[in-house]
Amino acid sequence: MIFEPITYTGGVYRHEEMTELIEDLGGYIIQRQVIAGDVIIQAMVPREDIDLLRTVARPLMGTIAVTPLVGTEIAIVSPSLEIHHLPHTSCDVGEYLRRYGAKTNMVGLARGFGKRIANLTVEERDVINEHDCVIYLLGNFEECIQQKFPVLRRGVHIPIVITGGPSRDALQQIIDPPVEGYVGGIGRLMHRYRKPEELAKLEEIVAEVSRVLDKKRVEIAKDPPSVSPPRLMDVIKDEVEAIHEVTSPTPLTVQITGLRVKLPYEEYAPVLRDVEIERGIRIGDIADVLPSRMRNYIIVRIKPYSETKIVV
Amino acid sequence: MDALEYFQVESPEPAGAEYYRKIVGTVLQDLDLLKIISKLHVFIDPRIPIFVAVGVIRKLPSLIRVRDTGSVKIEDRKATISISDETYLASLVSVLTSRFGKDRVDQPDRFTVIITSDEPIGSDLEEVPIADPREGIYRDLVYALQYMAPEGFKVRRQDVRSDRFYYVASEDTLDDMMVRTLVRQKFSLMGVSYDL
Repeated sequence: MIFEPITYTGGVYRHEEMTELIEDLGGYIIQRQVIAGDVIIQAMVPREDIDLLRTVARPLMGTIAVTPLVGTEIAIVSPSLEIHHLPHTSCDVGEYLRRYGAKTNMVGLARGFGKRIANLTVEERDVINEHDCVIYLLGNFEECIQQKFPVLRRGVHIPIVITGGPSRDALQQIIDPPVEGYVGGIGRLMHRYRKPEELAKLEEIVAEVSRVLDKKRVEIAKDPPSVSPPRLMDVIKDEVEAIHEVTSPTPLTVQITGLRVKLPYEEYAPVLRDVEIERGIRIGDIADVLPSRMRNYIIVRIKPYSETKIVV
Repeated sequence: MDALEYFQVESPEPAGAEYYRKIVGTVLQDLDLLKIISKLHVFIDPRIPIFVAVGVIRKLPSLIRVRDTGSVKIEDRKATISISDETYLASLVSVLTSRFGKDRVDQPDRFTVIITSDEPIGSDLEEVPIADPREGIYRDLVYALQYMAPEGFKVRRQDVRSDRFYYVASEDTLDDMMVRTLVRQKFSLMGVSYDL
């Protein structure tokens, strides 16, 4: 069964019908947000059932959109959290990616600014590496990007998308070794992105990130994880009662090959490892339950089939 | 940026210069400085690296005195100020209380301030300065320039003198001679002389 990431947007009235239908079809609800009278559901559903969902959504005045970034967690790296870099560009990019279903985290570097003085700490590197993909939002000058980027990417092993003021071609020329994605013409600015050409740039970032993640998914499909992350999320929701007490908007954040569980590591890591998925197979058998560098969370990295010889 | 008589951004990287043109425009607009500045030249060279901004300020508003806030009526030991412009009312009341004492200054309603004193009140009360709008403008100006310059350029030299100002920033130590030469050179591009 091939799953397609979708977002349902509609009213609160009768939205349970949609929730139940998604579950009955074998899909997984990644996130459900109720904002006043509106409901936004992000889900993974079987590809062949999207038309059926659209038919059911129509009388409910809801819409179904295919949002390629649902089920991914993306780091957006800003050189600092100062007024020079925030809120514009960083927040605009973050917010736009969220519209396409991604869960974005802003990583404001402690010393990411400057040409010569830019630096990446070990903690920042580890936090970035916990994501599916990272977007570096760099500045306006080729000279600076060329000199500082090798420092900022040191130790980062997840796919990188780089953005900056110079054109895409210029970025490709100055970045060595090459990274997975480039979006030029989006440097440091002091205003919100609202003009059509600026919004087109945000679209370009979404397209580039989708392309990079699709490539990653294809690679992963050759040796798939032992359990799909949305399924593991459902299991944890059913088995670990404490997750329902977490007030975070996404207590369980789905990634391409894992999950971020927003429970304290010391207390809940043994509980998680012991959760049974199916026929005696426990989470500890098919995944590494590790401490996250983000607060005191848990990061679950699902092992590939080649390692466990188990698929559930 | 048409509001400025002269505005140029100079850089060896044209694409970067275009971004800085947009940044400067937005910052000046946000901080309402377009009507304060008449000429501005920005030079940025990431290879050195250095950021230089030089400019000329339009005629600034002068000191605000008691008479600017409304009409002042002095009757021997009593003075009544009828407020017509509330902008500097807070600083007016604070200047008066520090001069005459808190119990001597009364504000029975929003637009009236009454002073009662043991001594006869002189007519010089009208000339007492209560605020200097230039202070806020200088502060905003330096803040705006910090905000425009690249964040990593932490080493800086700045000056606001009469109607001219400059701001030089880098991430390396600033050489005095280089600062002088660059500032003079950039002022001369605007047709303005500056003695550092």
